[in-house]
Amino acid sequence: MRIIACIKAAPDDADIVVGADRALDLSRAAWKVGSYDLNAIEAARRLADQAGGEVVGLTLGGEELANSKLRKDALSRGLDALVIVPGSADADSFQTASALASAIGGLGGYDLVVLGAGSSDRYAQQVGNQLGALLGVPTLNGVNSIAVESDHVRVERLLEDAEQVIDVALPAVVSVTSGINVPRIAGMRDILAAGKKPVTEASAPMPAASTRLVSLLAPEQVDRRRTVVEGDPAETAAQLATFLKSL
Amino acid sequence: MDFTLTDEQQLLVDNVRELMQRENWEAYFAECDRSHTYPERWVKALCDLGFDLIMLPEEHGGLDLGLVTLTAVYEELGRWGAPTYVLYQLPCFDTILREGKPAQIDKVLAYVGTGKQIWNSACTEPGAGSDVGSLQTNYVRRDGKIYLNGHKTFITSSAHVPYLVVMARNAEDSTCFTEFFLDMSLPGVRVEPLDKLGLRMDSCSDVYFDNVELDESDIFGREGNGFNRGIKDFDFERFLVAASDYGVAISAFEDAARYANVRVQFGKPIGRFQLNQLKFTEMAIKLTAMKNMVYEAAWHYDTDEMTSTQAAMCKYYCVNAAFEVVDDAMQVMAGVGVAGDHRIQRIWRDLRVDRVSGGTDEMMILTVAKGVLRAYAN
Repeated sequence: MRIIACIKAAPDDADIVVGADRALDLSRAAWKVGSYDLNAIEAARRLADQAGGEVVGLTLGGEELANSKLRKDALSRGLDALVIVPGSADADSFQTASALASAIGGLGGYDLVVLGAGSSDRYAQQVGNQLGALLGVPTLNGVNSIAVESDHVRVERLLEDAEQVIDVALPAVVSVTSGINVPRIAGMRDILAAGKKPVTEASAPMPAASTRLVSLLAPEQVDRRRTVVEGDPAETAAQLATFLKSL
Repeated sequence: MDFTLTDEQQLLVDNVRELMQRENWEAYFAECDRSHTYPERWVKALCDLGFDLIMLPEEHGGLDLGLVTLTAVYEELGRWGAPTYVLYQLPCFDTILREGKPAQIDKVLAYVGTGKQIWNSACTEPGAGSDVGSLQTNYVRRDGKIYLNGHKTFITSSAHVPYLVVMARNAEDSTCFTEFFLDMSLPGVRVEPLDKLGLRMDSCSDVYFDNVELDESDIFGREGNGFNRGIKDFDFERFLVAASDYGVAISAFEDAARYANVRVQFGKPIGRFQLNQLKFTEMAIKLTAMKNMVYEAAWHYDTDEMTSTQAAMCKYYCVNAAFEVVDDAMQVMAGVGVAGDHRIQRIWRDLRVDRVSGGTDEMMILTVAKGVLRAYAN
């Protein structure tokens, strides 16, 4: 089974500084593999280990991807190889999906493409669905479980009040939830092995931007209301319900 | 001197940080400290990342990554207030591989990756502390067997390790010191755990040997070489204490610095008062000096040799400087530091014990002075 895990590097959100004008200062934030993408790598790795096969990482970005530590980090988490599509982390969803679809066309076949719930920076949650449409294969998002069953995969999706179980023909594109697994923390042996795994570049054409970034600001801070509910459990539950309804 | 970590070393440190971020380990440590319990679940999680492979040679399935790598991991773990003092057995396979018989080596290496306690050596006795040579535990040969008798005290980890390397004197030749690789489940071995001020996640016990029957194959290393073996491996243990104490001092410093920035008295953060600023200046200088000292010693260990003088200097300086940093941090945090259950109390107690454990301050001073003066003899 050949699985492609799509990942995106983004500035580490723990080190983003928000200015008084709500502008984001990224200068001190190191780039790292998006946290939701780690779920995609983990899901892909487990499927490949279960069914046999390999996991190829696919990413699009700019010069941040030249960082050898970042590449080794991604590879140590369960990828067998990494393919880098030169571009920009600022590409919009359609540009990204188009470039990835083109790059996948040159990878020599695949059974499954796995993505995370969204990128760590924009979190538009669009690339998976657009990529599936561009590739013309079955496409699902919100996938909370995947199992290989002979010639297809059985996936589970958590809906508002139900769990949907679907048998999906391969090849397919799935975007997984952040709850599908707990991504492994790579051990020292995996880290050392990462430097020996192949990293290749694959150029892919990108269409013109279909969106325009107007501004990028942190949410406005709101003061805490400091509303405290007191009393026995029944009273506090009632007070809390009343308060929540009043919002 | 370039102490820049490689990609691989940085990723290991990053991943250790990720492990520490994933759950509230402090609650687990506090409970283990209260109940004198070895934090096996945490040690196992570290072993899953390959912690016990760092110093293990490749021919034994290890990664042989060196002491600088280990120091970087201790530093990160210390920043989280983690009890790195319980980890000392996992980088110490060198002693077993150098001195052990194949069967003894196999028994120890079977524990790699498990996170369990494995072995420690036992020298100290009621009448033989710093003066190791005055020990009275003895062995005698009879009918093709060896019988061990005596009483060891303050033996770290002895309540839970499966093996103990015991130093004893030949009953028929008092100048002959020999070590035995002892299975703690043998008849005649009795362990009585002691309560302890700090380092409570590792046991500390009296161990009694009453005619413990051993075979020639239980001798550890060469008969008569026990004293020299024990002394030689003190250096590595001393270095580990220094690295451990430097690391946890970072956690106390960071806790105090965050607190001093937000705790307001007389209309301003207490970090703006000059008496506290002096403390932060002194703390930062000591942390920097400790860092340079342990990394330099580790670098020597990896590249040429770490001398006994360097190891003793590291332990003497870092144990005391770390204690001063933690004590100053506690003073800054005042009521928050001494009442309730802040981790700084645990760390303060642990560091006080380290001025005694693993070689007293006074013995470190003797070793350092002897080493530095020897360079100018004649």
